[in-house]
Amino acid sequence: MRFEKNHNLPGTLICVEGIDGSGKSTQLAILKEWLSETVNDVIFTEWNSSRLISQTTKLAKKRSQLSPRTFSLLHAVDFADRLEHIILPALKAGFIVLADRYVYTAFARDVARGVDASWVRNMYGFAIKPDLSVYFKVPVDISLKRICANRQPKFYEAGMDLKLSNDPYESYRIFQGRVVYEYDRMIDEYDLVKMDATKTIHEQQIKFRKIVKKVLKNKGIEIAEK
Amino acid sequence: MKKHGYKGMLVVVEGTDFAGKSTQIELLKKYLECQAFGVVVSEWKSSDLIASVIDDAKDRNLFNANTFSLMYAADFAYRMENHVIPSLEAGFVVLMDRYTYTAYARDVVRGVKPAWVRKLYDYAPVPDLTFYLDLPVKSLMKRIIAAQGFDYYESGRDIGFSTDFYESFKIYQTKILEEYSKMVDEYGFVKVDGNKSIEDIHEFIKDKTQKLLKTKFE
Repeated sequence: MRFEKNHNLPGTLICVEGIDGSGKSTQLAILKEWLSETVNDVIFTEWNSSRLISQTTKLAKKRSQLSPRTFSLLHAVDFADRLEHIILPALKAGFIVLADRYVYTAFARDVARGVDASWVRNMYGFAIKPDLSVYFKVPVDISLKRICANRQPKFYEAGMDLKLSNDPYESYRIFQGRVVYEYDRMIDEYDLVKMDATKTIHEQQIKFRKIVKKVLKNKGIEIAEK
Repeated sequence: MKKHGYKGMLVVVEGTDFAGKSTQIELLKKYLECQAFGVVVSEWKSSDLIASVIDDAKDRNLFNANTFSLMYAADFAYRMENHVIPSLEAGFVVLMDRYTYTAYARDVVRGVKPAWVRKLYDYAPVPDLTFYLDLPVKSLMKRIIAAQGFDYYESGRDIGFSTDFYESFKIYQTKILEEYSKMVDEYGFVKVDGNKSIEDIHEFIKDKTQKLLKTKFE
C-alpha cells in the first residue's frame, strides 16, 4: 500500500491531528502565516471540505442518519477527492501542503465508533504518507471547556449516534475519551509527534515551527531567521 | 464475507449492463409475491443520500478510481444498513440488482487492487443465491446500440482505452466480463446464459429460487 511508503514527491506534507478543541487549527493557521511569508508556495486543505461530497455529508449529519460505516465511507470519499485534486498535484508541484486533519482522524474516530481498525486502515491505503504529523494532545475536559465556550457539543462530535448517554456533555466525554485512546495508540504506529496542547498558544507555536524547520531542511528548504 | 443468520433470504442478480437483470428481478418479484412471500428490491446506486451525488459527479467528470470506488461503497453501505439488513431481519426475500461483485469487476478494471476493494465490502453478508447473467460482448453491443447508444461511463471512456465509443465500450465490457468470469467459481455464481429468452431465463431462476426457499422456509 502506498500509505506505508515514503513519497518521493518534491513537495512537503504536514498534517495536524487532535480532537476538536485541541487548538490544532489555530496552530496551523499561525504556522501558515509564517510559512507564507518565508517560503511561499503553501497550500491548505481541511477535513471534509471537498466540492464533491462535503455538503452531502454535512446534510446527512444534520439529519443524524448516518451509520458508523457510512459515516466512515463518506469521509473517505471526501479525502480521496481532495487527495487527487488538491494534495497530490500540490506535492508534485513542490508546495508545502498543510492538512487540518488527515487519515489519522478517520483511524481514531471511526474506530471509536466501532468500525474495524484494519478495515478503515485498508480503505485509506491509497493515501500519501505525510512528512510530518503533529498530534495535539489535550485532556477531554479541557477540550470540552474550549468548544463549549460558545456552543453545545454537536451530535456526531459528542458521539450521540452511539447512544452512550442522553446527556451531550457526558456523551462527549465518553466518546472523545475513546478517540484520544485511539490517537495515543497511533503515536508509535505512525510516528506522530506529540504536542502538549495544554501549553500556551505561543509556546506550542515556537515548538511547532522548530519541528517544521527541521523537516523542511531535510527537504532542502532553509528558512532564514528574522 | 460471512454467511448470514437472518430470517430472510438474499438473492443477487449480477451481470453487465443490458444483460437483463432488472427484467428478471421484476419477474421473480412478481412470482414470489404470488407465492405469498414478502419481497424487497434494492438496486445498485439507489440510496436517496448518495445516488444523486454520484450522478452529478459523473456528469462533471470529477471521479478518479478511488473516489469512484468509495462513492459506490458508501451508497451500498447506506442501503445495506438502512434497508437491506433490516428487511432480512424482518424475514423478507431481498432481491439485489447488482451486489458487491459489480464493484469487484468495475473498480478493478478501473485500476484499484482486488484485495483493497474486497476488503471494503467484507462486512456484506454472503448471498443465499447469486445469479450471473452471462452475455457475450457481441450481444451486449447489439442490445445497447438498439436501445440507447453508448453512454460515457458504460463505455469506460473515463479510463481512456480509446476515444472511439464503439472501441472503448468493447474493450471495457470485455474486461468487465473477464472479471465476472473469474468470480464464477470464487463466489459460486449460478451462471445463466443471457442469450436465452426472457421466459426461459425466468423459468430457470424461478426453479432455483423455489428450491432454496423450500430448504430455508420449510
